[in-house]
Amino acid sequence: MWKFTIRRILIMIPQIILLSVLIFALAKMMPGDALSGMVDPNVDPERLEEIRDKLGWNDPWHVQYADWVGGLVQGDLGQSFRFKMPVTELVGERIVNTFWLSIATLFFTYLIAIPLGITSGRYNDTWLDQSITSYTYIGFATPLFIFALVMLWVFGFMLGWFPTSGSVSPGLQPGTFEYVMSKITHLILPAISMALITTVSTVQYLRSEIIDTKQKDFILTARAKGASETRVYNRHILRNSLLPIAAFLGFEITGLIGGTVFIETIFGYPGMGLLFFESIQLRDYSVVTAVVLLFGIASILGALLSDIILSLVDPRIRIK
Amino acid sequence: MAFLDVENLKVHFPIKGGIFGRTVDHVRAVDGVSLSLEKGTTYGLVGESGSGKTTTGRAIIGLNNITSGKVTFEGKDITNLRRARADFRKDVQMIFQDPYSSLNPKKRVIDIVAEPLRNYENLSKKEERKRVQELMELVGLSPESILKYPHEFSGGQRQRIGIARAIALKPKLIIADEPVSALDVSVQAQVLNFMQDIQKELDLTYLFIGHDLGVIKHMCDKIGIMYKGRYVEEGTASDIFDDPQHIYTKRLVAAIPDIDPKKRDEQRQFRQEVKAEYEQSYNDYFDDEGLAYPLQSISDTHKVALPEKG
Amino acid sequence: MENKNEIEQVEKSPSGFSIIWREIVRDKLALVSLIFLILITVFVYGVSIILDQDEIVTVDLFSIHEPPGEEFWLGTDYGGRDIFGQLIIGTRNSLSIGILVTLMTGIIGVVFGLVSGYFGGHIDNIMMRILDFFLILPFLMIVIVFVAIVPKYSIWTFSLIMTAFLWMGIARLIRSKALQEKELDYVQASKTLGSSNFKIMFTQVLPNITSLIIVTMTLNLAANIGLESGLSFLGFGFPESTPSLGTLLSYARNPQTLEYRWWIWVPASVLILLLMLSIRNVGEALKRATDARQRRG
Repeated sequence: MWKFTIRRILIMIPQIILLSVLIFALAKMMPGDALSGMVDPNVDPERLEEIRDKLGWNDPWHVQYADWVGGLVQGDLGQSFRFKMPVTELVGERIVNTFWLSIATLFFTYLIAIPLGITSGRYNDTWLDQSITSYTYIGFATPLFIFALVMLWVFGFMLGWFPTSGSVSPGLQPGTFEYVMSKITHLILPAISMALITTVSTVQYLRSEIIDTKQKDFILTARAKGASETRVYNRHILRNSLLPIAAFLGFEITGLIGGTVFIETIFGYPGMGLLFFESIQLRDYSVVTAVVLLFGIASILGALLSDIILSLVDPRIRIK
Repeated sequence: MAFLDVENLKVHFPIKGGIFGRTVDHVRAVDGVSLSLEKGTTYGLVGESGSGKTTTGRAIIGLNNITSGKVTFEGKDITNLRRARADFRKDVQMIFQDPYSSLNPKKRVIDIVAEPLRNYENLSKKEERKRVQELMELVGLSPESILKYPHEFSGGQRQRIGIARAIALKPKLIIADEPVSALDVSVQAQVLNFMQDIQKELDLTYLFIGHDLGVIKHMCDKIGIMYKGRYVEEGTASDIFDDPQHIYTKRLVAAIPDIDPKKRDEQRQFRQEVKAEYEQSYNDYFDDEGLAYPLQSISDTHKVALPEKG
Repeated sequence: MENKNEIEQVEKSPSGFSIIWREIVRDKLALVSLIFLILITVFVYGVSIILDQDEIVTVDLFSIHEPPGEEFWLGTDYGGRDIFGQLIIGTRNSLSIGILVTLMTGIIGVVFGLVSGYFGGHIDNIMMRILDFFLILPFLMIVIVFVAIVPKYSIWTFSLIMTAFLWMGIARLIRSKALQEKELDYVQASKTLGSSNFKIMFTQVLPNITSLIIVTMTLNLAANIGLESGLSFLGFGFPESTPSLGTLLSYARNPQTLEYRWWIWVPASVLILLLMLSIRNVGEALKRATDARQRRG
């Protein structure tokens, strides 16, 4: 177990280095630099060149890369050209919002997946199972952004049950009960929209896992011993089928990353996804670079997490 | 110089382990095997599964990497077949154990049998077709069936297709890796007799790998017995069957069923004697790791793995 | 002459179309989906020959945001452009790029997977590390960044960018299949018969994994159409001058359009959904046809 984890973490190091090189290269390919936004356009170009020199932007690329990484390690993500503030500060507020959105989405994902998967697996080939299977089938084919648009249209605009943008109503004091409630109501629709689509694979997986386990010898033995059907399910089948679901957590994180760009854009929810979308439209490239890097690291960690959980659940993986 | 010479052949497979996936140990699949074949004869390589007999055959033809040792064919070193000239490949062919997986299910018979021809001989479509039909006739299949797919044939017929493919280039040596063990007993004799017929016709040399001593006795002039990657005994067919020296060989020979019902009691008694001897003297024949000792000559043709005297 | 014909017939590769066809006909949903796909493809490509794309995407200030009516069947957008015409051209463009990206990722994925799985060992190890790295990249963001910074942006660069980050799935699948195939004796036999590794990979192993490739590519086509429309929806796919289905949906990013002008974005949504569902239905039927080991040749 420890061997596997250590080896898995060692694999991660070159991945992170490669990711940072790629993003650095992308950043260098992006037109303009922080000076073009920071300095008065009337300043003499020669003077600008001097400043660039002083800031080290004319150094060879590996020196620049080393400086950049050095900054990253100290938590310095650079300066936003547009908002004239450190990217770290800008990201700080947004990352909290995205964090809560992700938690809410994961919560709904499992809240939907577990009962549906269990019902579908336990009563397979009944009409109930068939309707759940149809839902997962259609859910698989539905692009997240279309579904989110429809949800916003129906529940946000037509029925008016939920707010249609933002993460909190304006004018509320942080810390008050109303503030928290407003935060929650702003979260629900985006989170449910995303969860209803992302949960589909978990439902399908749980269903086939339960159907598989049902035929296993140890379940037949439990039945033969006279255990009640409820007991067979709760004590034997679920214990075996729910564990692999835990490993999905890591994959979900990777999936959430793409999802947040759509969801936050559609619901106008001020998180990292929307920040990315806005800053790429404003050509605020230092922010773009920082957000892509953070999301890249999140997805590396997500993959690490799911591999480690999988190795706990399924010993065969450890050998590889 | 013999036709095929194998000297101290070793094939080791690495076992990976540890955090960095380093090689921690080796499986010694073949651990110092020497044998030599005379032209036009059949050499039998016998052993239980996992004894390394198949690996030996595959290493000679170049399907497994050789860890150390030397293989010479007609006086030329072919230890590393990949670097050797192409005509060695032509001269050494193989018949595979499983006639179901050894023929590509997506190819027609003509494509299967013509594959070696396309690699080595520049034939026109018409000539190629004619050659394939001749080969089909030679192995006793209808020349009209060349447009069929492998699954349309029975196991025995498929093995004949495999043989047709192997002899297409007129090779000198054929390595037959348990060519009949996947077939029904009723078909086995057919294929074996047929193999002997084409051996005479084409002046072939066989390295015949098998576990069925009955088949080996029927086919082979010289026999080597393998156990855990090493030889335990080597000799002519009569050396092995009439005068087995090593306890492992004795047990194998004792296990051959006899069809004569009158001898049944005699046979059972013999088997029990051998079993008793095996249990008693196991340690005399194998070293501390349960491996065989190096071979000692006891006659011109007969070699046995016995501990060195003294 | 006659003889030559016969030989050519011999050389033809085996086809599994009969089983696939049988499976699709047996599955009514797949059959309906296939007919729908054929009809819409023929219709969209046929009509767009007659339709003038430039005319449709030209701004007409006198008919901004017209609701559906006699002149414009499905109304107009903020530039007074006919939605119905854009829908046809958009479907054509979405299908074209979906097919293009699917083919390109298919070729890269098959070659990569085949080489990695067939050779195994160190080569496989290195290639899989490369693949793993591509797999952990945040796809959507990297693609958007590339789209934003690439000079001379066009349909071709767009499909190349998508391809560059989408070939891993099929590569991984082909690799694991190739790992299994290469252990089979027919591959070993080919080696002893003097065929080169290259030849074995592409003439011996490849025919045995074609069904897997076809199924995977069909399912990928659906996914790629979805991805393209998603990127176009965010404004990082097709430019407005060459609308795709996603372009029409991107108008719904404006809350006014989303709330009051459903005719702009609902038809495109329905069409994307139908396309993706039908392609999946056909793909699933193909999958079943190849899973059941009942093929005859």
